[in-house]
Amino acid sequence: MKQKLTHYLILLAMVIVVNFFLPRWMPGSPVRTIAGEDVGSLTAEERMGILEAYDLDKPLYQQFLLYLRDLFTLNWGNSYSKRQPIFSLIGSRIGWTVLLAGGNLLISSVVGSLLGVYAAFRRRSKGGAAALVASAAVTSLPPFWVAMILLSVFGVRLGWFPLYGAYSMWGGYTGLAAVLDVLRHLVLPLATMVLTSFMMFFTTARYGALQVLGEDYIRMARMRGIPEKRITRSYVLRNTFIPVFTMVMMDAGYLLSGSVLIETVFSYPGLGTLMQEAVEARDYPLIQYTFLVSSVLTIAALLAADLLHGRVDPRMKEVAELE
Amino acid sequence: MSRRIGQVGWAILIIMAAVALLAPVLAPYDPYATVGEPYLAPSGAHLLGTNDIGQDIFSELLYGTRTSLAVGFLSAAISIVLGAVIGMAAGWFGGFIDRVLMKLTAFFMTIPFLPAVIILSAFTRPGIWTTSWILGLTSWSATARIVRSETMAVKNKDYVLTIRAMGAGSGYLLARHVVKEILPLLLYRAAARVKSGILAESSLSFLGLGSAVQKSWGAMIYYAQAKNALLTDAWLWWILPPGLCIALLSCALVMISYSAEGKLDRRLEVRT
Repeated sequence: MKQKLTHYLILLAMVIVVNFFLPRWMPGSPVRTIAGEDVGSLTAEERMGILEAYDLDKPLYQQFLLYLRDLFTLNWGNSYSKRQPIFSLIGSRIGWTVLLAGGNLLISSVVGSLLGVYAAFRRRSKGGAAALVASAAVTSLPPFWVAMILLSVFGVRLGWFPLYGAYSMWGGYTGLAAVLDVLRHLVLPLATMVLTSFMMFFTTARYGALQVLGEDYIRMARMRGIPEKRITRSYVLRNTFIPVFTMVMMDAGYLLSGSVLIETVFSYPGLGTLMQEAVEARDYPLIQYTFLVSSVLTIAALLAADLLHGRVDPRMKEVAELE
Repeated sequence: MSRRIGQVGWAILIIMAAVALLAPVLAPYDPYATVGEPYLAPSGAHLLGTNDIGQDIFSELLYGTRTSLAVGFLSAAISIVLGAVIGMAAGWFGGFIDRVLMKLTAFFMTIPFLPAVIILSAFTRPGIWTTSWILGLTSWSATARIVRSETMAVKNKDYVLTIRAMGAGSGYLLARHVVKEILPLLLYRAAARVKSGILAESSLSFLGLGSAVQKSWGAMIYYAQAKNALLTDAWLWWILPPGLCIALLSCALVMISYSAEGKLDRRLEVRT
């Protein structure tokens, strides 16, 4: 337990250190990447002023300490493209990403693993190979492109869903109507995310179930005359979901990645769109802090999953206790 | 069955490679030149119409194959070599080296891939080389982890222990025997990496972070979206084809990696 916490703390520290050095190591002057692209047209005095304002004239270790102080006091500076404090900017966006990525995690893992187990049971039929080819095709679709196709068909042509955003700006909805409004905006981005990520769960679940089906205890259970339904439910499903769960844990970061592209297409006001807007404006501090926050989110997801792991798989708890 | 899937994959890949090589011969126009009115619909003269600055979309599409394949294979090569070297070093030497390398691996596994790639691309001037390096440097961790555990298994095989007892050094054993044992695994990982590289390159180009001088499928979609092709019929010939090309190429690679994996652990024939 303590070991795990240290592990994640070290990862967190690494992210924080890298985030400090990134603008200072990359090609080009850090003045440009920290204070903005306009710096090139400044006079020498103005340049010095900026160096001073951002503490770039101080020795590196002092810069680092100041960076740490600002980081932990949540004084992240201003985004120069949006003219707003970075912290509140990210704060206003993060909820939407969590809603989108979290909803996707829930739906994809359930749909994907149920289909995977089903495919494993039907492996002898022709569908087995077809499922394999289908999974190859689905995992190959570029997420942003799928988003655009769905948007074009269901948004523009059929007009079933709104084209952009997470809620109607001037809808003035309250209560239940507001919730429905948010859900209507969520459908297309969420559908894209599920479509482009449930296959990971499908393949893992299918493979896991095939392995479980080959185990001797399944044959033994069949011989003992335990009803097939119960074998499926208590033996196969339970043992299959463990590898799926482990994968959910490992891929939290990957799922967060996917949301960057999809949010961009739908102008969904989450972290991904914020990052893309920051990139377009070459707003380096904003890019960096969105990256930092996505990394911290990922680490938090990993830690949470790790803590839950013992509950899902009691065997893991015993291993942990032995250690 | 898994063999046939692999053959189809190889066939698609070889055709795409031929298109990339022969692009100047096959393309009806220079994709970088203005050869017609902007926003033309498909016709005999322009199979897929023209884009916002009057370039032939079909020619762009053919040239885009080059970027995708180049970045896909280069980034995969970098990623696999890095993963193999780090994984072998960690697994073979163990102890302190192993602990440090595995912390590094854990770090690279944790950071969200796409945001990391985006931030690195935003700080550098992207081109085929830079993009490949960025993708390679951020994607070796999973390979390193698998190679490490394979290396540890090979290390304790009888024949390796025997050669070792005869006085063979680590360098010799790693280069001659360990590499040979993990090669099938590396090739299977490579196919999967090429596919991810292609998807990542198109994603970066789609975000406007690709090379400014090279035609790329992702960049085509980026410009199409910027010009609101989604709201008109133009998406049918401007957005659909490049996306299908990306999907087809990466699907070919998934099929190749499936069949390679089938050989590795008989994915389809798990006993019952």
